[in-house]
Amino acid sequence: MLAQVLVSSATAGAVYALIALGFVLIHKGTGVVHFGYGDQVTFGAYLALMAQVLIGLPFWASVIAALLLSVLMGAVIYGGFMWPLRNASLLSRIIASLALGTVMREFLRAYMGPNAWPFPFLLSQTSVPVGGILVVPANLAIVGVSVLVLGLLFLLFEKTVYGKAIMAACDNQVGASIVGIRVSQVFLMIWVIASVLATVAGILVAPVLTLSPDMGLIGIKGFTAAVLGGFNSLAGAVCGGILLGVLEALGGTYVSTALKDMISYGILIAIILARPQGLLGVLAIKKV
Amino acid sequence: MTVRIVLGAAGLVLFLAAPHVLPEFRLFQICLIAATALVVLGQIVVTGFAGQISLAQSAFVGLGGYGPAILAAAWGLPLWLGIPATAAVVGAGGFVLGQMTLRVSGHYLALATLAFTAIVQLALVHSDLLTGGAAGMAVPAFQIFGIILSKGGELYYLVLPVTVVLFLATGNVMRSRFGRGLAALRQSETAAEAMGLNVRRYKAAAFAASGFLGAIGGALLALLSTYLDPSQFGITQSIYYLAIAVVGGMLSPLGIIVASAIFVFIPEWLQAFQSYLGLVFALLLLGFIVLRPEGLASLRPSALRLNLTRSGEGPR
Repeated sequence: MLAQVLVSSATAGAVYALIALGFVLIHKGTGVVHFGYGDQVTFGAYLALMAQVLIGLPFWASVIAALLLSVLMGAVIYGGFMWPLRNASLLSRIIASLALGTVMREFLRAYMGPNAWPFPFLLSQTSVPVGGILVVPANLAIVGVSVLVLGLLFLLFEKTVYGKAIMAACDNQVGASIVGIRVSQVFLMIWVIASVLATVAGILVAPVLTLSPDMGLIGIKGFTAAVLGGFNSLAGAVCGGILLGVLEALGGTYVSTALKDMISYGILIAIILARPQGLLGVLAIKKV
Repeated sequence: MTVRIVLGAAGLVLFLAAPHVLPEFRLFQICLIAATALVVLGQIVVTGFAGQISLAQSAFVGLGGYGPAILAAAWGLPLWLGIPATAAVVGAGGFVLGQMTLRVSGHYLALATLAFTAIVQLALVHSDLLTGGAAGMAVPAFQIFGIILSKGGELYYLVLPVTVVLFLATGNVMRSRFGRGLAALRQSETAAEAMGLNVRRYKAAAFAASGFLGAIGGALLALLSTYLDPSQFGITQSIYYLAIAVVGGMLSPLGIIVASAIFVFIPEWLQAFQSYLGLVFALLLLGFIVLRPEGLASLRPSALRLNLTRSGEGPR
C-alpha cells in the first residue's frame, strides 16, 4: 500500500517540481515571483489544444507548435511587461505578474469557454503491474519527461558557458555586465526558458488534471514546492516538488482526500512562517 | 470648514432625494458600489497605506458574509448584532494574521495570504453542516426595530450610511498619527523601526482594519445578493478587489469609489459580451499597473487632491 502510494505520488511530484523550477528560475534570475505562472502552465496546454482543435494539426505537431509559441510568449512577457517594469516597486511587479496570469486565464475563459476540454494522453492510461505495484505508462512518461527536462536544465547550467553566464547574471548583475554578459539578453533567455518549461508542464499535467481555465490553481502547488525547497535553489525546487507530491499522496490516502489541497496550502503557510528560506535554502539577509 | 458643511448638506440632500428619483435597480447598484468600495477600502489600508501586499480580501469578505448567516441560522442571532460581531472577530483574525506574517514581506506575504484565501474557501466548501457546502446558503433578511430591509431600495438606508461612516472614519485615522506611522512603514520599514515605530503592531493593525472593513463589506454584499456561494470567495475574487484598488489608486479612498462604480457598471455596458467581462477586468488591471500604477487618482486635477497624497508619493 505504502509503496503504491509513493509510486503514484511520483507523477504529481515530478510535475510540481517542473513548475517550481520555473518559479525559482524566474525569481532567482529576475527577482520576480511570477504569480501568473500557474495560469501560464494552463495556457501552454491550451496552446497545444488550440493548434489541434482550431488548426487541425496532429498531436505531435501541435505540441511542437505550442513550444515554439511559448518561446514567443516568454519574449513578449519580458519585452512588453517585465522590462518596462524593471525599476517599478516590488508591489507593482507582483501585481503585474498576477495581472498577466489573470489575463491569460480570462482570455481562455472567453475564447475557449469555461468548461473542461479533453486532452489526449501521451501514452496508455491502463495500469501495468510491476512487481506487485500498479504502474501507469502515461504517468511514467510524465516522470520520464520531467527527469529529462530537469537533466537538460542541469546540463545547460552546469556545463555550458551560456548557462554559466545566466547563473552569473542571476548572482550579480553588475559583476556579470562588467565581464561582458549582456544582462538584458540573459533575462530574456530566462523568461523564454521558464515559458517553455510552463508549456511542457502544462502538456504533461493536462491529461491528469482537468484542462479548464481554472487549472492554473496548480500554480499554488508549484509555489509550495518552491518554498519547501527554498526559493533560491534549483535543486531545492526539485526536491520540494517531489516531497510535496509524496506528502500530498500520504495525506490524501491516510487522512482525507478532501483535505489534500488544504495540506499543501497549510504546508505553504507553515513553511513561510517557520522557515521562509525553505528546507534547503539559505536565508537571504536584506541589506539596508 | 464651510465648504465641508455645504458638501455634507448637499450629500445629505442627495442621499434623501435619490430613493424618490431613482428606480429600485439603480439604488441596488449604488448599494453594490458602496459595499464593494468598502471591501476595497480594506484592501488599500493594508496594501496602499501600509504597503503590504495582501490577497486575503475575499477570504475576509467570505467570512464576513457567512458569519452572520451562520450565527442567525444556528442561534437565531439577529443580523444587526451578528454583522458587527463577526466583523470584530474577523478583524481580530486579521490582527493575528498580520502578527504571524510580520516575519515576511513582499513575495512571501503575497503567497501566505494567497494560501490563507484558498484555505478559507476550502473550509467553507467542506463544512457542509454549517455552510451548506458547495451549494451555498441563503442569507436571512436584515431586520431591525421590527423593520425588514430586504430589497435594494430598502437596504440603501443601511448600506450607504454604514459606508459613509466607515469611509470618513478610515480617512480620519489615515490622517492621524497612526496613518503617518503607516506611511513611514510603507516608505522604509527599517527606517520606521529605527525611528522607534512598533512595526509589528502597525502592520498587524493595518491587517485588522482590512479584515474588519472586508467583513462589513462582505456582510453588506451578502445582504444584497441574499445568497452565499463559496465559489465567490476565492483567489480570483481577491484579484478582482486588488484590480479595483489598482484602478482607483492605492492611496485614494475617493479613487476607489470611482473605480468600484466603473467595475459595477462595466457588466451593464458590456451586456452583449458577458463572456469577455473577466478579460476586460484583467486587462484593466494589467493596463493600469503598467501604464498608470497610481490609478485614476493620479488623473484628477491637483486642486482636488487630499492632504494625504499631496507630498506626491506613489504606492510602494
